[in-house]
Amino acid sequence: MPVDPSANGGYMVAAYVVTAVILVGYAVSLWRKTRRGRS
Amino acid sequence: MTTESLAARRTAVQGLGVIGLGLAGLAAVYVLALDHTPVERFQGLPQKIFYVHVPAAWCALLAFSLVGIASALYLWLRDPRLDLFAESTAEAGLVFSVVMLTTGPLWGKPVWGTWWTWDARLTLTLMLFFLFLGYRALRGALQDPSERARFSAVVGLLGMVLVPFVHLSVYLFRTLHPQPIVLKPSSPSLPWEMLRTLLLSVGVYTVLLFGFVMTRYGLGRLDRAGGGDDAR
Repeated sequence: MPVDPSANGGYMVAAYVVTAVILVGYAVSLWRKTRRGRS
Repeated sequence: MTTESLAARRTAVQGLGVIGLGLAGLAAVYVLALDHTPVERFQGLPQKIFYVHVPAAWCALLAFSLVGIASALYLWLRDPRLDLFAESTAEAGLVFSVVMLTTGPLWGKPVWGTWWTWDARLTLTLMLFFLFLGYRALRGALQDPSERARFSAVVGLLGMVLVPFVHLSVYLFRTLHPQPIVLKPSSPSLPWEMLRTLLLSVGVYTVLLFGFVMTRYGLGRLDRAGGGDDAR
């Protein structure tokens, strides 16, 4: 049965935020390690 | 500073450039997925989790397959670069596994009514994740580089054996998890507007995987050359 298109949007937002936090977080950790190697 | 250290640092910096490109692509994927891709009629907004979950699964399985291939080649050729490549790729694979294992339940709760179910696909995926966590732990526990490389290559190779089972589990067992809609013998069963977003996302995630591995590999080389902090 079709659902209200706006229903459960919080789960989608949470998934997109979690994904960005994990991927950007890992990228930042690699950047910091590279910078530390440089000093 | 040695030539090896300089080359290793250059690889890491180039990897960071690739990651930057990937993150810009990720921003474009978010805009495309959230603003320019239609909402699916039966699942509503949670269906859009598909565009961040499926590419993460693709990258995790690709990474673990590459770990297995590099491990097999290491056991044959004993080239330490293959061991370092396997180590770097396993770490990136774990990162994408975390994305896969957190976004999956966030889709499952509104669509299935439960965060988790112990069906074949989900259980095998979790086993694969724990196997590569064990791979990391093993690497950290062994001090002798040659012993570490040899033992972890065996674990990496065994991990790769699980990958086809994860992909085919939806055919082999009764499972709640949806069947493949792109990587299947017939043509993709997805409208173009959705397929376009998915393919872009898969491409962007693959660029990120490449950047992560490249940077981590450069840092590992730097560490082995004695020119930087331990990347582990």
